[in-house]
Amino acid sequence: MRKILLASSTAFLLCLSSAQAQERKLVISVYGFAQDAFKTILYDPFEAKCGCKVVVETGNSVERLAKLEANKNAPVIDMAVVATPDALAASRANLIEPIDVSKLTNYDKLYDVAKDPIGGHLSVGYTFYATSIVYRSDKVTINSWNDLFSKELAGRVAFPNVTTNQGPPTLYMIGKAMGQNTPDLKAPIEKVAEHKDDFVTFYVRSSQLTQLMQQDEIWAAPIGRFAWEGFAKMNLPIKWATPKEGQTGGMNVMILTKGAKNKELAYQFMDFWLSTEIQTKLAEKLIDSPANKEVKLDPKIADNLTYGEETAKSLDLQPADAILDNRESWISQWNAKVGQ
Amino acid sequence: MFQSRAESLALVLPAMLFAAVIFIAPVLILLSEGLRPAGSWSLTYYISFFTTPLNLTVFLRTLKLGALVTVSAAVIGYAAALCIVNLSPKGRGQMVGLIVLPLMISPVARTYAWIVILGRTGIVNQALGALGLTDAPLRILFSETAIFIGLLQLFLPLMIISLVSALENMPRDAISAARVLGANWLQVFWKVILPLTKEGLVIGGTLVFTGSLTAYITPAILGGSKVLMLETLLYQRVTIANDFASASVIAMILIVMSFSANLLLKRLATARAKR
Amino acid sequence: MTSRILSTAILGAVMIFLIGPFFIIVAASLSAGETLAFPPQGLSFRWVLKVFEIESFRSSFAMSMMLAVFGTLAALLIGTPVSYALARYKLPLGETIRTIVSAPIIVPGIVVGLALLRYLVIPFGFNLTLALFMAHTALVLPYAVRVVSASMTNLRSDIEEAAVLLGCSRLGAFLRVVLPNIRGGILAAFILGFVTSFNQVPVSLFLSGPGIRTLPIDMLAYLETTYDPSVAALSALLAFMSIGIVFLAERFLGFSRYV
Repeated sequence: MRKILLASSTAFLLCLSSAQAQERKLVISVYGFAQDAFKTILYDPFEAKCGCKVVVETGNSVERLAKLEANKNAPVIDMAVVATPDALAASRANLIEPIDVSKLTNYDKLYDVAKDPIGGHLSVGYTFYATSIVYRSDKVTINSWNDLFSKELAGRVAFPNVTTNQGPPTLYMIGKAMGQNTPDLKAPIEKVAEHKDDFVTFYVRSSQLTQLMQQDEIWAAPIGRFAWEGFAKMNLPIKWATPKEGQTGGMNVMILTKGAKNKELAYQFMDFWLSTEIQTKLAEKLIDSPANKEVKLDPKIADNLTYGEETAKSLDLQPADAILDNRESWISQWNAKVGQ
Repeated sequence: MFQSRAESLALVLPAMLFAAVIFIAPVLILLSEGLRPAGSWSLTYYISFFTTPLNLTVFLRTLKLGALVTVSAAVIGYAAALCIVNLSPKGRGQMVGLIVLPLMISPVARTYAWIVILGRTGIVNQALGALGLTDAPLRILFSETAIFIGLLQLFLPLMIISLVSALENMPRDAISAARVLGANWLQVFWKVILPLTKEGLVIGGTLVFTGSLTAYITPAILGGSKVLMLETLLYQRVTIANDFASASVIAMILIVMSFSANLLLKRLATARAKR
Repeated sequence: MTSRILSTAILGAVMIFLIGPFFIIVAASLSAGETLAFPPQGLSFRWVLKVFEIESFRSSFAMSMMLAVFGTLAALLIGTPVSYALARYKLPLGETIRTIVSAPIIVPGIVVGLALLRYLVIPFGFNLTLALFMAHTALVLPYAVRVVSASMTNLRSDIEEAAVLLGCSRLGAFLRVVLPNIRGGILAAFILGFVTSFNQVPVSLFLSGPGIRTLPIDMLAYLETTYDPSVAALSALLAFMSIGIVFLAERFLGFSRYV
């Protein structure tokens, strides 16, 4: 018995130390969706190229930001991709450092909007997306953001939670449709509260929606274009709405953690991700719309993405600082009116 | 009995040190943090927690669902346990084995199944529609009903097992004696079975109630962010806002409830020992 | 006769409620379709095979396995002496000791995980794997003490005393007399601890980092991003593993005597 115990505790210590003694590894923090595709298109080729190991942490933007802040004194993440307001929050909390863009060979190929989204070269945009409504075209038609509240859709809509990246932009467009477009989003939040029992759920991760759509649980949901791929391959008549108030959207950016242990690898990885080759591959899989202007896409694919600077400019975006400055008050309003 | 103090101390010390350092100290610090906003003792966090309507709703919902699940488990548990003790000893063993079985299966798997079953096109709705009980499929997912069903399935086995062992310890002829004396089934249950199996009911009830309070997966998968319970609220507060004040308050609530339930159990056990 | 039918009906309904969902998971995992559905759309093993291809499942399975095995062993290593002391010595604070080592059962797992993260991992730069290991050890400790104690109460102390009188050292007496007699209890405690630790979610919820996740947490994360039937397939495989272990234990050790 004692021998077994001794042997097994040695084995355990070995397990522990081997987990630590990785020679070169890059730790990244990314969104959880489409990880299979990211692995084959991005991580595996990069691992082969750099001879290092890519360790991935997944989660939504806000959650991962909170984790970054908790580990502030001993950062584990080298680079992260987040939404612009979260990048701004990270910079205000002093969690990130400026990116030396001279180290990114593909930097000049980026669209101008992606070059320095929050200023101070604290971030680099790698993709932008439109936010609109996916819907079952055999059941309803959607021409306006107000249609989310229509009778036909009562009990058939999943609405983004206010804490997600899609929440505030959606509320913003609803406010616009109502003609009450104040930055405090008071009117749209009240409207959602009024109809809260008509929403199936307030989703936190858009990836969950494909299952709900498939199960006939929902017929419509406001989503970012990056989540469209899951719907596009379904055997259901599903459309991307072009509401008369326009579409909103957002941008995802790369940030570099302050005190990152593997800065050089992080730069190599960012550059690789921004390269025309990788951006094209990710676009062709309908995952991320390219921020690299050299990416040339088949029109059929471009139609399913947010392709080109013109498209990006046509989006009605909330500025990152407006989102960040108001977020606390939106969340507390939401919790008070919708949450209970 | 051996008497050496030093020896006995050496035997218990590693476990005690481990529990104290790794477990009790961090938890106590966490709890005290909620009572010491800005370094001095005060109930500020508690007041602001309970005056936030959302938190109060979640708190009451957690209590309500915990109570509902416990009562339902007791009702179903008695029915099932009474059937089980009437089986042959072999059948009884097999039945108990089958009921314990789900406890060995990962709760993620057990809860996950309900997404398919309770969905609008799931078998529950198909059955209701085929029987003509509903005109249109019901919306069950992401509701308190869904959480209720999930929790009941998760914890019912604990209640059944407790009641089976209580019923086995009951004097065999108590029921038939009461029947001979002219009592109907309801009277038999209230006057004979219930008083004699009270302890089993309390043990099972405590396990089901505390289990329901502290379940995470069920409300996370079947309730989502629309129908929060205390555990999912705690997780959300920490992961979204690094809000350790609320987290500490929720931790205290959970511990106090779980602790009092266990105290009740212990009381009962000692009361029985004295008898 | 009617009561016989009624009894069968009640038990049947309860069993369908308790075990039915498990069969649905098994069936859904054999579906050929893209999303989780019941009845399954066609029959195929593609999702069962996919489980083995998903890298994160492999590493988190290894992590959970390691935690369950070594966490339980560690708990037994420090828990068995406690059980022994409680049974053999008149301890001044016996009840208090029992309460302290069984405290992890009372405190909700999510609180333990959060407390460890906040006061050990973050301030002291504690290794996350180590924190998980300790949390799982703490979690299993109460079961270890309880089950081993149960197997020790029926053990007479005079044989051991005789061994000591005949010149055996105390440790020798423990190893040669006591241990062989409580072997069954220790194994039962190991299995119970293993299953508890392996299926545990709340404790590990906060204790995850890049590349470090227990299997149930990984399944939960996978569920949130992809709704294909591979999680169902994995759930089914794990369930069969648990059932297999318990079945073997029951068959060869009479496991249920100790639980």
